[in-house]
Amino acid sequence: MVVSPDIALQVVIWGLYAGCIYILLATGLNLIFGVMKIVNFAHGELLMLGAFVTFTFFTISGFNPYVLLAASVPILIVLGVMIERLCFRPILGTGKLNEIFISLGLIYIIQNAAAIIWTDEWRIIHSPYESITISVFGVNMPLDYLIIIITTIAILVALYLFLRKTTLGRAMRATSQNRKGAMLMGINVERMDMISFGIGAGLAGAAGTLWAVSGQVFNPYMGSLPAIKAFAIVIIGGLGSIPGAIIGGLIYGIAENFAIFTLGGAWKDAISFLILILVLIVRPTGIFGESSE
Amino acid sequence: MLEVTNLNAFYSNLHILWDVSLSVGEGEIVTLLGANGAGKTTLVQSLFGFIPRIEGKVVFNGRDVTGMHPYDVVKEGLSLVPEKRELFPKMTVAENLELGGYSRSGDARDLEEIFELFPVLQERKTQLAGTLSGGEQQMLAIARALMAQPSMLILDEPSLGLSPLLVGNVLDTVARLNKDGLSILLVEQNVEHALEISNRAYILENGRIIREGDAQVLLHDDEIRTAYLGF
Ligand SMILES: Nc1ncnc2c1ncn2[C@@H]1O[C@H](COP(=O)(O)OP(=O)(O)OP(=O)(O)O)[C@@H](O)[C@H]1O
Ligand SMILES: [Mg+2]
Repeated sequence: MVVSPDIALQVVIWGLYAGCIYILLATGLNLIFGVMKIVNFAHGELLMLGAFVTFTFFTISGFNPYVLLAASVPILIVLGVMIERLCFRPILGTGKLNEIFISLGLIYIIQNAAAIIWTDEWRIIHSPYESITISVFGVNMPLDYLIIIITTIAILVALYLFLRKTTLGRAMRATSQNRKGAMLMGINVERMDMISFGIGAGLAGAAGTLWAVSGQVFNPYMGSLPAIKAFAIVIIGGLGSIPGAIIGGLIYGIAENFAIFTLGGAWKDAISFLILILVLIVRPTGIFGESSE
Repeated sequence: MLEVTNLNAFYSNLHILWDVSLSVGEGEIVTLLGANGAGKTTLVQSLFGFIPRIEGKVVFNGRDVTGMHPYDVVKEGLSLVPEKRELFPKMTVAENLELGGYSRSGDARDLEEIFELFPVLQERKTQLAGTLSGGEQQMLAIARALMAQPSMLILDEPSLGLSPLLVGNVLDTVARLNKDGLSILLVEQNVEHALEISNRAYILENGRIIREGDAQVLLHDDEIRTAYLGF
């Protein structure tokens, strides 16, 4: 099948949109991994909670769902801080296996808690801009896609400035590069763990809101597929690398869209694993990953 | 200034330090000598709360710091240049130095003052720490520790892996810092050079202090000379 240039451009721009949600998820995973060296397998469940928080506030208030980022992000930050304090802090330094089981256990706890609160029905919400299509660089796209791309960029720029320009952000980067060195600078590394988990969860909350706003359905058990895609992106971009998560997410989003276009929708979910396997064969440490460790 | 009393340290069931007592007075420079594996690093790490299981007492500036978190010990004004340097490899020299002043939010040492002591760091200011040479990294590790304006500095084998010329350089810097009033505990393998710049010394063997005394006396002690200097 031949793809004409404008269709190719359309696929790329739609791919940017598709990548956004996974980039937010993968960035949070990498932030948490970078600082705590923990892989949070329950990250998809945090996205699911973000979607349901958005759903609940939307149903109650009828606000523009984008505004509800102001609810989902802070709520998930608080929840992330609580998870770190109650689940991960007590087992700090007791071994990788404990961390893995805690985060696997969290998947089921969060899913079941959500099912109790919201039932296990599939839900959907409708963006007020649902029927508006605009033209960007000659490519037609729903206004929602553009808003989602811009929102994601804004969140990532804010995160970048936080990590680069603030004392707290620098202390977090220091902790991720050398935990012992950070302690010797007087940095309270356990506090950095807590903050990184909070921010990572907040990013997943934002991803959940965008998931809901983009008109995708959700129920309490929907978190695993986006999480698997985010893990694929993490591996493509390199574990712990935030630029890697962004580039990996873009590659992933674009590839997924190309697959849908050229091979058909059934390939949408399979493509992430194909890319993942290819990357693992060519460069096992990911594109931006460290060659050692 | 630093008072260590009957310190015992363990790695799980391994008893590494046995009733170690030592002290460093205000303005003093004291060397800790000992063969590989004697327990020097373990001793230094115990002072900073890095060893999970210790017994005994560590008092710094009149405050009991035994078992405190490493980041709280540092806030008391005790800084460490660790054996492995523990720099932030993907940050610039300037960022590493700024983080050195983290515990003193606001009244950290002036970068200019540090650059006067270590001109090479000024040239490398915007370079990533991980790309520096071994000697430069050691200078950065020392400079970073000084950023917190500590009242006492502990250096764990600062000359490790450096060329003979650089070893002299680093130890001269240490001596100069001491002359400017900084109390120092120095762990060294370059016995002769270390003793020359020190007031007193302790010798650690298999986790026990076996000798202590005036550095000049030890330097001219026949037993020490045969054991550690090879003549
Ligand atoms: N993490 C650890 N777990 C178990 N044993 C350890 C650990 N670290 C050090 N040891 C042991 O403790 C003893 C003292 O080691 P330490 O590193 O304190 O010696 P050192 O005097 O600093 O030696 P070097 O001159 O090589 O730096 C050694 O026998 C070492 O094998
Ligand atoms: Mg040592």
